[in-house]
Amino acid sequence: MSTPIDTLNTAWMVWDSLAPALKGAVLEYTRELEKFLAEIERRAFRMAQVALRDSDDALDVVQDAMIKLTRNYASRPSAEWRPLFYRILENGIRDLQRRRTVRKRIMTWLPGPKEDPDNEAQDPLENVADAGPAIPEKLMQAEAMQRLEEGLRALPARQREAFMLRNFEGMDVAETARAMACSQGSVKTHYSRAVHALREQLGEVW
Amino acid sequence: MNEQHRDAFETRTRALFQDSVDNLDFAMRSRLTQARHAAIEAAGRRAWYLRWTVWTPAAGVTAAAVLGVALWVGLPLGQHGTLADGQSNFEDLELVASSEGSGDTMEMLQDDIDFYDFADKVASPDPAA
Repeated sequence: MSTPIDTLNTAWMVWDSLAPALKGAVLEYTRELEKFLAEIERRAFRMAQVALRDSDDALDVVQDAMIKLTRNYASRPSAEWRPLFYRILENGIRDLQRRRTVRKRIMTWLPGPKEDPDNEAQDPLENVADAGPAIPEKLMQAEAMQRLEEGLRALPARQREAFMLRNFEGMDVAETARAMACSQGSVKTHYSRAVHALREQLGEVW
Repeated sequence: MNEQHRDAFETRTRALFQDSVDNLDFAMRSRLTQARHAAIEAAGRRAWYLRWTVWTPAAGVTAAAVLGVALWVGLPLGQHGTLADGQSNFEDLELVASSEGSGDTMEMLQDDIDFYDFADKVASPDPAA
């Protein structure tokens, strides 16, 4: 018959062997998660920036999405992280846009200075011409990107989302469907309409 | 729009977007890195099952339970939970574990020490007397 000390020793040995393995597994997925976020963060930020037209808001939404992903879905298989992350991000973008709409409505009823409708108040220094030599190619690229951003903002949200995920993020139809929580057929439709609309807006020459 | 034009359009838009991503300024990259670290830290906080603040009480309770079971199993057969006179030792355990009125009991014991001394003498009279 085993003595109480033997039983305690066995329990301690079991715990001693399990704890490092458990800790190692958590460290491993944390490292993997960080790598995933590092790969994705800049594109995600630019997509949010295109949709929201504001860098600070875009950064907030991206950070929220990162935190929600790590808190709630880190234990999911890594293959699921990307669609989950973009679903969270898009929900955040939509929430912020709704809040802005409500705020804008309220502001129109309040007396006093009105909020800039497009939030496009610019620093006067930004309008000062650059004294340095202009690089035509860079300028053309910047202008083209600006037109593309305007075109994307003019699209319905679902079309914009489908276009950015498929084209900018390089997701396949199935992954995009998971991110958008819709069928693959819907993704194809949204994407096709987005491409047509953008081509029309930007012109054949662009 | 034919497929070739469409592919060229998609390729161009993708390249433009990637270019804008690559040209993000240093300040924004730094803020994104900070945001990522904050998120990872939040994930670390989430791994509550590795924290000693959770494990220490849990380990204490488990150790107590293991010790209890070990002592229970370690007793000879037929003696589990009973005293020699057949009285259950769980009743004693209950009395010891109960904190209710323990202060009063101690006070009573101290006050009536003379009474208990007297009762003891009456119960077992001195054979020499």
